[in-house]
Amino acid sequence: MVERVPPRSAQPRSRLRVLLASGAAALALAAGSIVPGVPLGAAPQQAQAADGGKSTLTVAVAQSVDSLSPFLAQKLMSTSISRLMYDFLTNYDPKDNHAVPGLATKWEPSADKLTWTYTIRSDSKWSDGQQATAEDAAWTFNKMMTDEGAAQANGNFVANFKKVTAPSPTQLVIELKQPQATMAALDVPIVPKHVWEKVGDFSKFNNDKTFPIVGNGPFILTDYKVDQYVKLKANKDFWRGKPKFDELVFKTYKDQDAAVAALRKGEVSFVAGSPALTPAQAASLKGEKNVKVNEGPGRRFFALATNPGAQTKDGKKFGNGNKALLDQKVRQALFLSIDRKTIIDKVFQGHAVEGQGYIPPRFSAYHWQPTAEQSLAYDPAKAAELLDEAGYELKGDQRVGKDGKPLDLRILCHATDPNDKAIGKYLKEWWGKLGIGLKVDCLDDVSVPWYAGEYDLAFDGWSVNPDPDFVLGIHTCAALPAKAKDSASTDNFICDKKYDELYKKQLAEYDPAKRAEIVNQMQSWLYDSGYMNVIAYPNAVEAYRTDQIKSITTMPEAAGNIYGQDGYWSWWSAAPASGGSSDGSGGSNSTGVVIGIIVVVVVLAGGGLFIAMRRRNTADDRE
Amino acid sequence: MTTESMPTPTKAETAQNPRALARARKRRSIARFWREYRGHRSGLWGLAALALIALVALFAPQLVGADSQSVTGAPGGALESPSGEFPLGTDQFGRSVLALLVWGTRVSLTVGLLAAFLCVAIGTVVGIVAGHFHGWYSTVLMRITDWFLVMPTLVLAIALATVMDRSMWTVIIAIGVTTWPTTARLVRAQTLAVESRPYIERARALGGGHGHIMVRHVLPNVMPLVLAQTTLVISSAILTEATLAFLGLSDPTTTSWGGMLQDAREAGAVSAGHWWYLAPPGIAIAVVALAFTLCGRAIESVLNPKLGVAR
Repeated sequence: MVERVPPRSAQPRSRLRVLLASGAAALALAAGSIVPGVPLGAAPQQAQAADGGKSTLTVAVAQSVDSLSPFLAQKLMSTSISRLMYDFLTNYDPKDNHAVPGLATKWEPSADKLTWTYTIRSDSKWSDGQQATAEDAAWTFNKMMTDEGAAQANGNFVANFKKVTAPSPTQLVIELKQPQATMAALDVPIVPKHVWEKVGDFSKFNNDKTFPIVGNGPFILTDYKVDQYVKLKANKDFWRGKPKFDELVFKTYKDQDAAVAALRKGEVSFVAGSPALTPAQAASLKGEKNVKVNEGPGRRFFALATNPGAQTKDGKKFGNGNKALLDQKVRQALFLSIDRKTIIDKVFQGHAVEGQGYIPPRFSAYHWQPTAEQSLAYDPAKAAELLDEAGYELKGDQRVGKDGKPLDLRILCHATDPNDKAIGKYLKEWWGKLGIGLKVDCLDDVSVPWYAGEYDLAFDGWSVNPDPDFVLGIHTCAALPAKAKDSASTDNFICDKKYDELYKKQLAEYDPAKRAEIVNQMQSWLYDSGYMNVIAYPNAVEAYRTDQIKSITTMPEAAGNIYGQDGYWSWWSAAPASGGSSDGSGGSNSTGVVIGIIVVVVVLAGGGLFIAMRRRNTADDRE
Repeated sequence: MTTESMPTPTKAETAQNPRALARARKRRSIARFWREYRGHRSGLWGLAALALIALVALFAPQLVGADSQSVTGAPGGALESPSGEFPLGTDQFGRSVLALLVWGTRVSLTVGLLAAFLCVAIGTVVGIVAGHFHGWYSTVLMRITDWFLVMPTLVLAIALATVMDRSMWTVIIAIGVTTWPTTARLVRAQTLAVESRPYIERARALGGGHGHIMVRHVLPNVMPLVLAQTTLVISSAILTEATLAFLGLSDPTTTSWGGMLQDAREAGAVSAGHWWYLAPPGIAIAVVALAFTLCGRAIESVLNPKLGVAR
């Protein structure tokens, strides 16, 4: 037997070469799989662009989707997608928020205002070809009324419903127990009965298994990958008209700087800040060619919630909120020592409006301002006085209660929100001057201690709808959890008889002026209570590429926001600029390749250096 | 010399003499150590850098003002570029980045030193005990060590920092309890080597117990190794601290270099191109870690000539 034996002298070198070659191959593979990770999502997009010249609108978002089921979705990202997938009975006009036709073309109350009749349009079809009818709407509402699992997200709208029927395919009749003012603003996605009646447990079903998802909104959801992307395609048969972009992709960028860099390179057409672009990012993007920074009054309020003593519906206390906060004087003292103007100037750098009432000034019909004497403006001296009155006297540099314990508070902050942390720093100093200790607890997921009532104060914020019913409803006793530590729709465990009565009254009031008057009384009560201290109304600061998006509707149309509107206006109306996004994804692919090549070269060079050094080392050893 | 010239020692002198001798020997060995250390130029550079950084940390309030960390009394505008008043610009609250950098020295050094001390203390105790006792006792200890050794340090530290409160002490404990296995293995090996020497056997024959042998004979002999290991661990502890702070796992209200990087990222300094906010803390971390490494390497090669050239 003859074995081929390589010449001895060549052996080490060839082994080295094999090693190098295999290393390079492995690196190339690794680079191929890792580096173009982002453009990988763009690849199928590009393929489509090649076969039919499809235009794609890519939106960088930071929030995750909590559920694609409209019965469970509560995050802004998910409810915005619900609006694109399913038509609502009515919609808000982008100009002035008045109710305009959606799936319903007409709506009328009876004389006693307890029976509402909706005329359902006959030109809306589900994406599987079936007609959308009043029967679908009736089934959706009935499901929410009978199945607690289906009432999780929007249960407040149907709590007062007595009976919902569909006498004919174009007629929906809702009978109420008591008059309800939100009947033209039912923010409930209507789902196809023939698909959803097969669903078993609504509290577990996330609607993310079979694609495309049957819907009748302006877009149809075609694909979804957790924390990667949500893909939608235009619904050609949408009754209001086909959207101008063929495809809409929400791509997840957990890092806002990465999203801004992607916008600069043209990989994404739009960046929705989380919750807004930082002032530095906005300023640097303003000078960029082909990028427009859009700033509008926000829908959100940013508030400081104080734990009023967590309790269940039947009054069982739980949690460990600081007892000192049960005193209204202490709560007001805390708020009196916050200089909101400084926060607007320094933290938001002017990209926000100073907080007053509960509902942002954007919704002028319901915005309320405190009167001069009830206003809690920045006044540390008065705050110190109130604390003295409440029995927390200054000993040394600490406020000490009657029980001899120093007044030390905790505040829950979202680790993902830089504003929370920044304001936390200010609060620590302001309250420190008063003698109050503060510990800033920043967590990725605040919901665990929150639901358990284990907090003293918390940074809080909600997006407000044109109809304020939802954000008012989360402070009623009815929203409290049934069992301790259960998730519930309550925001901050507030439960007050007077507030509840006002809440019922406003819901039953059909006259807008009178209803606004009651809503104002509620806001006044909230303000005085010190449970919800609104610090600011942050503006929406977002940016898009003008060489990819020619025009897009803001809401309100004059100067408003684009992402997270009360409707589908922005994405439905967005028009592609010529030579749109296919350039962008092509560019991203090539940059991916370039980065890959650079990485391979750098690693090879490093490897060569390493081997050279080792050689020298062994040479040293020999000496 | 004649025997006459030798004075007869009095009782007090005999008691004092061995101690004085020991002291003299110690002085001599320190002098020898310093002489050899001086030969390592990189070690001297490291030492000089460390002395400078330590001075900066100690005199931070005098250098940049005691209230320069305050956000409410911040003198500048947000994210100003470098100028005469603020040599490294300002952060998003209008505080001077240079002042923050100086204050951050304290946290980085404190955390680095305490975490390294904790790590080496655990490692030394485990190492000596595992090296001294044989049988199942040692096996169990070493398997625990192995388990910690294969766990990715950063992942474990992140998990710990997430579970506990966010504070400086959490970070110290998280680093300390995750990085000790290497020290333990090193010390155990040295312990085995020391214990095989004949004088240990002699001590045992004269009735020395476990505690006596471990504390009086093994510990002084592994001490040089432990010292070198400490200086090396400090730099990795400082890096880990910066990583944890950058990931947002330390107390957001204290100023540290990693925390500054995190603040810069959150303010959008990366995409806005504000290098003066990003680069200094990063460079500072690198310089301190480098200084400790240089010192550690020099000490190591002085105390253990076998390692000197190869590493």
